[in-house]
Amino acid sequence: MSVLGELALWVSLPVAAWGMVLGFVGGRQERGDLVLSAERTVYAVFALIGLACAGVMYNFIYDQFQYWYVANYSSRNLEFFYKVSGLWAGQRGSLLFWLYLLCFFSVLAVWSNQRKNREFIPYVVGTLMGLQLFFIVVLLFAQVNPFEQLGFTPVDGAGLNPQLQNYWMTFHPPTLYLGFTAFAVPFAFAVAALLSGRLDARWIHLTRKWILLSWFFLSVGIVLGMRWAYEELGWGGYWFWDPVENASLLPWLTATAFLHSIQIQENRGMLKVWNMALVLGTFVLTIFATFLTRSGLIESVHTFAENTTIAFIFLTFMGSIIAVGTVLVLYRLPQLKSENQIESFLSREAAFLFNNLILIGATFAVMWGTLLPLLSEGFMGEQITVGPPFFNRVNIPFGLGLLALMGIGPVIAWRKASRRNLRKNFLIPVIVGLATAAVLYPLGIQHGLALTTFALSAFVMTVIVTEFWKGTKARARIEGEGYFIAFYHLVSRNRRRWGGYIVHVAIVLIFTAFAAEPWYVEIQQTMEPGESTEVVSPLGARYTLTYEGMSTNVRDPDQNLAWQAIALLSVERNGSPVGTLRTEKRGYLRPEGQQSTEVGIHSRASEDLYVILADVDLQGVVVDNDPDAQAATFTFLVKPLVGGIWAGLFVLIFGSLIGLWPSAERVRSTAPARAVRMTPSRHSPAPAAGD
Amino acid sequence: MAMAGALILVGVVVAYILAPLIQDRRASLEREDDELTDAQAARRVALLALRDVEYDYHTGKLDEKDYREVKRQLSAEALAAMKALEEDGGRDALESEIAEMRQGLRAGDVCDVCGFRNPDGSRFCGACGTALEPRPTPAESA
Repeated sequence: MSVLGELALWVSLPVAAWGMVLGFVGGRQERGDLVLSAERTVYAVFALIGLACAGVMYNFIYDQFQYWYVANYSSRNLEFFYKVSGLWAGQRGSLLFWLYLLCFFSVLAVWSNQRKNREFIPYVVGTLMGLQLFFIVVLLFAQVNPFEQLGFTPVDGAGLNPQLQNYWMTFHPPTLYLGFTAFAVPFAFAVAALLSGRLDARWIHLTRKWILLSWFFLSVGIVLGMRWAYEELGWGGYWFWDPVENASLLPWLTATAFLHSIQIQENRGMLKVWNMALVLGTFVLTIFATFLTRSGLIESVHTFAENTTIAFIFLTFMGSIIAVGTVLVLYRLPQLKSENQIESFLSREAAFLFNNLILIGATFAVMWGTLLPLLSEGFMGEQITVGPPFFNRVNIPFGLGLLALMGIGPVIAWRKASRRNLRKNFLIPVIVGLATAAVLYPLGIQHGLALTTFALSAFVMTVIVTEFWKGTKARARIEGEGYFIAFYHLVSRNRRRWGGYIVHVAIVLIFTAFAAEPWYVEIQQTMEPGESTEVVSPLGARYTLTYEGMSTNVRDPDQNLAWQAIALLSVERNGSPVGTLRTEKRGYLRPEGQQSTEVGIHSRASEDLYVILADVDLQGVVVDNDPDAQAATFTFLVKPLVGGIWAGLFVLIFGSLIGLWPSAERVRSTAPARAVRMTPSRHSPAPAAGD
Repeated sequence: MAMAGALILVGVVVAYILAPLIQDRRASLEREDDELTDAQAARRVALLALRDVEYDYHTGKLDEKDYREVKRQLSAEALAAMKALEEDGGRDALESEIAEMRQGLRAGDVCDVCGFRNPDGSRFCGACGTALEPRPTPAESA
């Protein structure tokens, strides 16, 4: 199986090259046989890379430690679940897995366009196979081959980093990769549009679901990563502006900008060059994110990568995408002229434009902060790093601007809005926003930025609820339907808009969770068993934490543990018991010397109580098993509203699914088709499937 | 054993990829009619904008004066696009288009030969008489 997997990887190299060349040549010369052959390489490489992935999984499951990758990321006692996910635990496997997902989406793109949009397909295939070829070359020639052998077989592997042995961590990378790779399809369609000269809004129309899909996976992946950091890194935070976090945020920002700006092109025929630039830029940023995560170029908590020669290959690749993209856009510039002009700054297109400017501003700010260490070291010989204060200071105003626009945009009409209507529509939401601020201020919410966030959030929520209500009412009146039916039809006939509003609700939830940060309570306390500490939450609850005692565990090879010190605390809230929390420190057998802290979290809708075992006398407790050495230092954190982030994730998923749900027409139109033999095509010119 | 597996793998892949060249099987490369699709796109955009304008007016985002002006302009654009479509082969009668957009009716069977859209369940094309394949799923879905 392993041999077959490795062989499949090698075979995929010429196949992908063949597909790339035949795709472009076949499209240029309009040769149907070449194009069909190229299309088949998409399926063939998907199968081959699938075999290669199966080979790596086989190596993990059957402990084939003669392979470098398995020896470094697994061990005999690793749980089966983590052996399977070993495929994406390290740099080498991740790259293969990335490639596999890219192959999967390529198959989906080609398969779903068997009988429509045919003039794009040769170039789409050529572009996608070119991307696949790049990753195959990297895997085979950049010293990251997951099938590389050690030349001897170790008795056991080095083990998987225990911090990666977490449920969230198993799903976080694949979700992000899904987002990154799904964006290759819009990119390929954009290139195809540039090459074929079909530069109207059709390529956007065809790929907007792909863009939404990619955006959806990126969002979910980012939030899952936050959840992992929150539970596993043991410092109580969920976002640290770490280079790799930033790297995943960058394409998310530009993809968000793109989701909004395509609506201007679809509705008003404007911003064509801008949209091209955004799709090319977003794709380059997805590659950049993969590269940052897996190259080890910038030190970060994510440097689970081990080789830097790959950095130069990636940089060259990104450079060539930018160069080719720029040349193509310049070449087609005359056809990318705007059909309209913005008529008024009081219009929805202007609001979208501001939204784009803010998102791009944030992108540049985050990129600057992320690359500064690298640039300063390269040009000045001294590494300058900027931390969370920089990112927060720069991005909070951007975030507030976006929040305000989320309320303003939906209420302004396309083209032109009159002041009178604005006054009428904004009156109630603005009053609600101001009233929120007026109520919160005397309650002690006097932090300026946080108060602004809460007031704006109330403003946006009012606008969204009013929109749903007014829309339903208008539809009921125009179509003469009952309110319930009218509401259903309202949403189902324009799912993109209403799904989008629901996603806005999710963003509001997440932003309010961020804004509660000034009220985080942190208390550090050294306690003997039996002692209690009281923590008062900013929302008024009183927690009493009693340290019940420490239990220890030494050398448990089944769980890969060298030692374990578990502190138990019982928790009372306002005098009534709500359960016990456990927090622990662990030392691992493999990798030797690795330690971790497991935190205890008591979650409520309003706030989280978060307990960290900060310090313990390991010598006394674990080695000597001395009952008098059980004194321990704890950090107690109360985090109001933090649950909004995770709740926001579910709302975001719900809203995105509304936008992504296939329309009835789309389902009906996917009839199977075959390539025709020697007969002129009988396909009627089918217009693009729409909504 | 491994050698045999390798040979089979390579053989299958090569045969699968080269078959179209040897058997001269072709993928369709039909380019959708530029002018037609442009007109369809223009019509689609104009009709969507009309829907939005209607909605904006009824939810109080547009003044009546602006509403009338924008609506007149958009209706002219939509009409021009429909006219262009009609001249392009008379596939779609203006009235039926409006009715279709208005009520979101299911499109009927499209004739493979002349593109005429027949009522649902037709067995022969009403325009050119070609026998229609029994196909419950129309390709048209704009």
